[in-house]
Amino acid sequence: MTVAVPQFRVYPCAKAVNLPPAPVDTPSDHELMIAVRAGEINRLGELFERHNRPLYGFFVRLTNQPAASEDLVQMVFYRILKYRHTYRDEGLFSAWIYHLARKVAADYFRKNSAVPAATDPAELTAQPDPAPAPADRAAKDDDLEFLRIALARLPLDQREVLVLSRLQNVEHREIARLLDCSVGAVKVRVHRALKELREVYFKLRHERHAT
Amino acid sequence: MNCQRVQEGFIDYQTGSLPAAEATELRAHLASCPVCQKEWAALQEISRKLDQLPSETPSPRLSEQFYAMLETHRREADSLSPFAFARSRLDRFFETLLPSRPATQFAFAFILLVAGLLAGARFLRPPVNPPINSLDQAELAALRAKVDSMGRLVTYSLLQQRSTSERIQDVLATMNLARPDRKVLTDLVGALAFDPSVNVRLSAVEALSAHANDQLVRAGVLSALPRETAPLVQVAMIELLATVRDPSCAPVLIRLSREETADRDVRDAARRALAVLRTPSPSGISPNAQLNQPKPTLT
Ligand SMILES: [Zn+2]
Repeated sequence: MTVAVPQFRVYPCAKAVNLPPAPVDTPSDHELMIAVRAGEINRLGELFERHNRPLYGFFVRLTNQPAASEDLVQMVFYRILKYRHTYRDEGLFSAWIYHLARKVAADYFRKNSAVPAATDPAELTAQPDPAPAPADRAAKDDDLEFLRIALARLPLDQREVLVLSRLQNVEHREIARLLDCSVGAVKVRVHRALKELREVYFKLRHERHAT
Repeated sequence: MNCQRVQEGFIDYQTGSLPAAEATELRAHLASCPVCQKEWAALQEISRKLDQLPSETPSPRLSEQFYAMLETHRREADSLSPFAFARSRLDRFFETLLPSRPATQFAFAFILLVAGLLAGARFLRPPVNPPINSLDQAELAALRAKVDSMGRLVTYSLLQQRSTSERIQDVLATMNLARPDRKVLTDLVGALAFDPSVNVRLSAVEALSAHANDQLVRAGVLSALPRETAPLVQVAMIELLATVRDPSCAPVLIRLSREETADRDVRDAARRALAVLRTPSPSGISPNAQLNQPKPTLT
């Protein structure tokens, strides 16, 4: 018996490259950070330009608080400055910045001990039905909104591992180092989180269409 | 391959990191197992959806606040840096004359220092230890002519934004030179006076120690000493000066030994060095021989 299998094409991890390939004379993050450590504080600006948006995305997805997320990004760069002397010669800047970001997020969650306010799906159901004309587009927007809500509803650890691996495109190896676990454990967590996300997502969609 | 193992490989298969042989097996299994097919399709669907989530963009407020913070920090750091002294003086005197560009001001400060060194080297005539390489007028004139090309090490490395470790390499490379020329020595003095990194300055003292009997080196270290802020470097500089028993160092050392705000190690080192200066030099001994002698203790 042969079942038609739509495709086995490998899911492209396309967004992995957020930046165009650096020209030869462009300093690496590491080189910039070493310069900042040595006192060329202005060069932190270059690191900010490279990383503030991905970092902001990380915090928004993790906390669901866009305004607070800007403060958190600022806090990460503040800590980079404050602790620049602890950056090591053999350091990996991307690992360091996520390490700091996770600490900043942990502080944030501690202070705002209430679970991050996930957008209430009631808001969605309360909205008037989208105009029928651009039905396709509206459906797509709806889908993305459901996905956002579903992501926000995941437990923090699952949300974090998904944000890191699928939205920030951090390598499994690096995530393992950040979370202090094995690479295998990271993959298991990603898989579980994806399954959970899918379940929550379809449940939301089902509720929505049932009303 | 059973279903569980196949599904464990899904994440690697998605990211393309599953070894080729296992990927072939996985595909073979998928082609014939509806359960895994369903699971795989579900995983792909949610992954694609996640991929479609648009990235979030921060408001301009973030950037404004960041650069405001950076500016505050830069000012604070500058006020602590070893060349802040020279720079703040220049800022006051040349504020209206110079464009507000650190590079220009830096170069200006450097030229001032070099000019100071030359003047110092010219008038210093230590009676106890006649300079081994005394600078004659012709040499001085030649040096003056080269003022603008001097300090290449510091100006180049800082302005070209070489990293700290690269600058240390620059400094240490000079130690392999048996007879470094004037330019190299001036570069080293420049690094000692102006490099923002303690490690670079420390390496510079180390490299200069081998040439402490050179008058230019002594005058340079003496000029850089009052503006040095790191106790480690201060002590190293004082010890260098002590080895050559240059009496012209005495006023600076006396001031340091009495400075309440100075680090205790620095004051102690200054006192020890003064004691050395006051001890008559055994004739015929080369200044560098002192390096290996035990440090005199002062009660
Ligand atoms: Zn199967």
